[in-house]
Amino acid sequence: MQVVGGMDFIPGGELSRRIREGDISAESELIRQFEPGLRVLLRRRTGGDQGLLQDLVQETLLVVIQRLRGTGIDDPQKLAAFAAQTARNLAIASLRKAERQKTDVDSEATERKADSTRSVETLAGDLEAALAVRALLRELPQARDRLMLKRFYLDDHDKESICEEMQLTEAAFNQALSRARRRFRQILEERGFTKRDLLSLGL
Amino acid sequence: MNQHLIEMYVAGKMGEAQAEAFEVACLEDPELARQVEFEQRLKAGLEQVSRGSTAEFVRAESSTRWRLAAAASILLFICAGVYVWHQMPGTHPHVLAAVVSDAERNGSSMRLALVRGAEHLPQLPGGKVRVEIVGLFDPGYHYSVMLDRLRESKGELSVATLYGQHATSPVTLEVMIDGDQLEAGTYSLRVRKQASEEEALDFSFVKP
Repeated sequence: MQVVGGMDFIPGGELSRRIREGDISAESELIRQFEPGLRVLLRRRTGGDQGLLQDLVQETLLVVIQRLRGTGIDDPQKLAAFAAQTARNLAIASLRKAERQKTDVDSEATERKADSTRSVETLAGDLEAALAVRALLRELPQARDRLMLKRFYLDDHDKESICEEMQLTEAAFNQALSRARRRFRQILEERGFTKRDLLSLGL
Repeated sequence: MNQHLIEMYVAGKMGEAQAEAFEVACLEDPELARQVEFEQRLKAGLEQVSRGSTAEFVRAESSTRWRLAAAASILLFICAGVYVWHQMPGTHPHVLAAVVSDAERNGSSMRLALVRGAEHLPQLPGGKVRVEIVGLFDPGYHYSVMLDRLRESKGELSVATLYGQHATSPVTLEVMIDGDQLEAGTYSLRVRKQASEEEALDFSFVKP
C-alpha cells in the first residue's frame, strides 16, 4: 500500500485480486479511490449536466466492479486506465444515444418537454457553483481581482498578457488566483448546498 | 507543477493523449482529482454568473434584496414543512420492512436500478416482495428508505419510511415491501444516506 495525496492508496492489482476473491471492503475502496477521478473525467464530457454525470459515474463503477467480480481484466495493474476507458466509452455511448433521440423525434413539443425536465438537474448543479462564485466575487476586496478571474477563466487570456494588462508581477497574480481558489473551495465546503436547498430558495 | 497541469486540463489545452494520461493520474490520486474538480466548478460557476451579467466582475452587487428573498423563502419553507408534518398519515410498518429471514431472502423479488432511457417502470408483484435496490452504497453508513405514492394531481403521499438500513454490499441495499397493502398506482422509493448531504437515489415502480 502506498500513500497518495495523504490517503491510503491500494494498487490496482491488489484491488482486482481482492474483488475477484469476493472482498466487499475492496469494492468500497475502489469506489472511494476512483469516484473523484471519474467525476473529473465525466464532468468534462457531460457539459454540466449533473444528472447525467452522476448516472455515468455510477454506471462506470458498477461495470468495473462487475467485470472484476467476473472475468477480471487483462492487466490488473492498469485498473485505473481500464476504469477511465470504461467511463469514456459510456460517455460516448450516452452522447450517441442522445443524438439518435434528437434525430428520431422531430416534434417541437416533445423537445420542449424533455428540455424542461432535464434543466432542473442541470441548473441545480451549475447554480451551486454559481452561488459560490457570486459569494466569492462579493468578497474579493479589489475590482482588479474580479477582472483577473474573468480574463483568466472566461476570456481565456494567458497569465503573461493579464499581468501586463494589470501591471502585476507573476507572483502577485499567482497569489491572488490561489487565494480565490482557496476561498471558492471553502465557500462550497462550508455551505454544502444541496439541490433541495436551492429549490427551497426558489432558485 | 500540478497546478499548471490542472489549469491546462480544465482549459482544454492538453492534447488528447496527455489529457487521457492526466485522467488516469486523477483516478490514481483522489486528492488531485478533487483539486481538478474544484477548478472545473470554479470555471463553470464563473461562466454561469457571466451569462446573467458581467457587472458582478466590475463591482460587488448589493445582496440585500437577495438576502431578504432568501429569508422569506426559508420562512415559507419552514411553515410548509410544519404543515406537511401535521398532515402526514401514520406510517405503516408492515408495508415496508427490513429483510430479516432466509425465507424473505429466497422469496419473490424485484430489482430497482437507475436505467437511463428505460421505457417501462418495474411492476411490483403481490405479497411480500424483496426489493433489491442497485446503486453505490457505503456499508459503513445507515440509509433511510422512503416509500411515497405518486398522485397525478395531488403530488406525493408518504406511505412509509425505514431508517437505519445497511447495504448488503457496496452496490446493493434490500428491503421488503408488502405488495398486498399497496393500492394500485405509481410509487417512488427514495434511498438517502443518513447524516449526509449526498443526493438521494430515486426509483419508481408500479403496483398494478
